[in-house]
Parts: sequence; structure tokens; C-alpha cells
Amino acid sequence: MTFVSDRMRVIKASCVLSVHDTFTVIRPAVWVFLMVVPSLFSMFFFYMIAGYATGDPDYQDFVVIGNAVQAIGMTTIYSVASIPGDQKHIGTMGSIYMSPSGLFSIFLGMSLFSILAGFISVAVSLVFAAFVFGVSMASMNVISVAVVILLTAISVGGISMIIGSVGLYLRTSAILANVFTYLGLILCGVNFPVTDLPGWAQKIAHCHPLTHAVEATRGAVGGSTVTDLADPILMMILLGIIFAVGSVLTFRFFEKLSRKKGRLDVF
Amino acid sequence: MNVKAITAAFRQQGTQFLADPQWIIPSIIAPFMFTVVALYMYSGAGELDSPIVLTAVLGGGVLGMWGNMLFSSGFTITYDRYNGTMEPIMLTPTHLIDVIAGRSVWNVFIGMINAVLVFISAQLIFGVGVSVADPLLFFPMLLMTLFSLASIGLMLAALFVLTRASYVITTILEFPIYVFSGALFPITALPEALRPISYIFAPTWGVDALKTAAISGYNTPMASFGIWFDVLMMFLLIAVYIIASYFLFMRIERNIRESGTLARY
Repeated sequence: MTFVSDRMRVIKASCVLSVHDTFTVIRPAVWVFLMVVPSLFSMFFFYMIAGYATGDPDYQDFVVIGNAVQAIGMTTIYSVASIPGDQKHIGTMGSIYMSPSGLFSIFLGMSLFSILAGFISVAVSLVFAAFVFGVSMASMNVISVAVVILLTAISVGGISMIIGSVGLYLRTSAILANVFTYLGLILCGVNFPVTDLPGWAQKIAHCHPLTHAVEATRGAVGGSTVTDLADPILMMILLGIIFAVGSVLTFRFFEKLSRKKGRLDVF
Repeated sequence: MNVKAITAAFRQQGTQFLADPQWIIPSIIAPFMFTVVALYMYSGAGELDSPIVLTAVLGGGVLGMWGNMLFSSGFTITYDRYNGTMEPIMLTPTHLIDVIAGRSVWNVFIGMINAVLVFISAQLIFGVGVSVADPLLFFPMLLMTLFSLASIGLMLAALFVLTRASYVITTILEFPIYVFSGALFPITALPEALRPISYIFAPTWGVDALKTAAISGYNTPMASFGIWFDVLMMFLLIAVYIIASYFLFMRIERNIRESGTLARY
């Protein structure tokens, strides 16, 4: 019990510290701007391409919703995956390694704010979808949308931590996170249906939580209930658990490896 | 302009790039992914050798070049701060603008490789018929477009000296240029009120010149002025960016020395 409460204390303290760090470097207003502008412009960019390529308003709606969910790539995937590399750069990695608190708990705490930010960014992007791009939300099932976004943030957070753990060994994992975010644009049905991809790519796509998140969000916006969306939701829960366990294991692996190879503070 | 310093900065940036191969990912792989997305979106609109698909390949190449330039400019100062090399650079008698200019030329070189790889992979992997109507005109236009991107990068790098949050600004700026450059869709598709913004970006004219050189019968209101008008506009805007960068760098160098905020991050 003490172990659990100690871990929770570490997670909470790390979370508070990461919020403080974030707003020391950038002002809250700039942070909000950062969440809003890239997602608005990326939606607008792909909306315009869809309109120019096909002239089909339904396809434009398809793309707008896809990119609203993809907004999580910029907030959660990139931010969470960058944490270990950032700590190396600002010179705090050594202190973190030396603390008895456990590396994973510290980084989990630091990630929580970015996971919450991912939730908010998708919600804000959906508001854009309705009010800027005119996507009809008349039949939207709000509870389904909320459940789907929450699960998206959690499951994507897990995979982001796996990517971040590589940063314990490499100089940074931010670049890997960038590629992973771009991969999401190709594999996850964000801008075109997953069925357009070759068979082998479709199999990979189904292992990515964003694929199910995009599918479920489109369903929820169309009025589907949580029960209707059982398949993608269950897949997101399953992938969320797999990635959460995976992140614990990869953190252990890369921590051991970087200690062994003397790369704890290499950047 | 200190050519010796620019050459040395070019070599240093190259060494740093090769010493940290992770940079191959944003520089080479990410542009390829963008092109793939564009190809999938456009392939529904026509055959793989239709002009609209060629537009996607050209546009994907330009976006890749911009992404590479933007992130390189953003990270160049940030990494100097992280690595503790910012102070020694400022202590040398060489102006910061010469150092950044040398690095920008390296980025132009990588951007060129980017664009060529995008064209080759579109041809080999997707079988897109990338046949350039006028290759003799196309390659100089590609080079000019790259220099126009580098000149914006130079200007941004000056602003990045002032901030600890350059990564924030790079993230914010990535997509607006994608939108306003007309790389993947013509700027005539933009709402009329937004189009003037496109005209102040040199890459917009570069994209138009590239398309005019690559696609037979390419025609937009911008193209109707002719390719040499695009070239003229690029020259003018590149000159404006470089002059603005020079004054920005001089002003900023003085300000950060006075305020003591140089190495703050």
C-alpha cells in the first residue's frame, strides 16, 4: 500500500513540476495558441486538398474529422515522447536517474499533462470542425465522443511513452515521435480510408490506436452510441493496456541499456 | 558577408548532420510521407500520370524542403543553447548571420536531396509519371525555390535567437506555409481575403515557377504573368528577406548582449 501511495506521490509531484516547467518556458496564452493554431491550419490544409482533389463536401468532412483526431499527434505524441530527450538537454536527467523514485513513475507523471492536453486539443479541434469547417454535429452523440477522445488520449499516451523510452538511450526521441505522427497521417485513415492501403499496411494500421480512434470519432459524430462503437472502443482499450505494459517494459529495457552503455546523459 | 565563415559554418552543419543521423528522419523520411498522403488523396482524382498527381509530387517535394528548412532553422539556435556553443559563437568577431547563412546553405543542399528523392520514390514506388516538361528550366527554378525557403529560414533564425520557445514557433509556422504556398492546391482555391498573404511568401512564386516548368499547359492567374515574373518576384522577396535578416541579426545581437539573455533557455 505504501509502495502504491509513494508511487502516486511521485507521479503527482512530477505532473505538477512538468506543468510548472511548461509555463515557465512559454506563457499559458502561447501554450493555448500552440494547441489551437497548428491543429486549425492542418485541418484547413487537408480540407483544401480534399476539396481541390475531389470537390466532394462529404470527403472534406471525412478529412476534417480525421485531422481533428490527429491533432493529438502534435500535443500528446510529440510532447510525451520528447520528455526524456528534453531532460537530457536541460541537464536534469542525471538527477532523475539518481533519485530513488523510479524513472517510470517520474516520466509517467510528466506525461500526464500532455495526455490531458491531447484530450483538450481533440475536443477543441472538433469545435473547429463544427464552427469553422461546417461539419454537421446535429446528430453527434456527446457521451460517445467524450469516451472516444478520453480513450484516444490514454491509448496514444501509452504508445508515446514507448517512443519516449527510446530517448533514454538515443540523444532524443522527438524526431522518432515526428515520424510516428506523420505515419499516423498515412496509416490511420485520417485523410483517406484505411482500405485504400495495401493489405500489409492495413494490418499495421489496426495496431495503431489512432486508427480506431478516428473510426470511432467519425461514428460518434454521426450519432453512434458507445454500444454501437464497441469494436473500435474495445480495440482502443486493448491497445491501451498493451502499450501501457509495453511502456513499463521498454522504459526498464532502455534504462538498463543506457546505464550499461554509459549513455545516461548523452545528447 | 564573410565567405570564409559561411563556408566553415556549412562544413560544421554537415558534420553535425552526419554525426547525428536522426536528422535523416525529418529531412528525408517525413517529406516522403507527406507526398504519400498527397498521392493517396489525389490519386482518387485522376490517373497516376495526370497533371493533378504531378502537382502532388511537386508540392510534396516543396513541403518537404520547407519542413526541413523550418526545423533546421528552429533547432540550429536551440541546439547551440543546449550544447553551450552559443556564447563562443557570439564571442568570435564573426557575425551570427554569417554562421546561420552557412548552415542555411547546408539545409538548401539537403532540401535539394529531399526533392530529388521524393520525385524518384514517386516514380519507382507509386509509378507516378514524373515527366518534367522543361528540365533545363525546372532545375534552376528548384534551386531558386530552395534559396527562397533558405532566406525565410534565415529571417526566422534571427527571431529564434530571442526566444527559448523556438520549437513552439516552428510548430506553429509549419502548416501556414503549407497552406499559403499553394504547393498542394492552387492559391486561387483559398478564400479571396487570404490570397494576398500568399503573395508575400517567395516560395509561393517558386511553386508557381516549378509547376510552370514541369507541367505542360499549366495555367493559373499567377502563371498567366509568365515564369519570368515568378523569378522576378522571388528575387525581390529573397532580397527583402535577406536585408530584413541582416538588420534583425544586427539589432538582436546588440540587444542580447545588452540584456544578458543570450544563453537563457
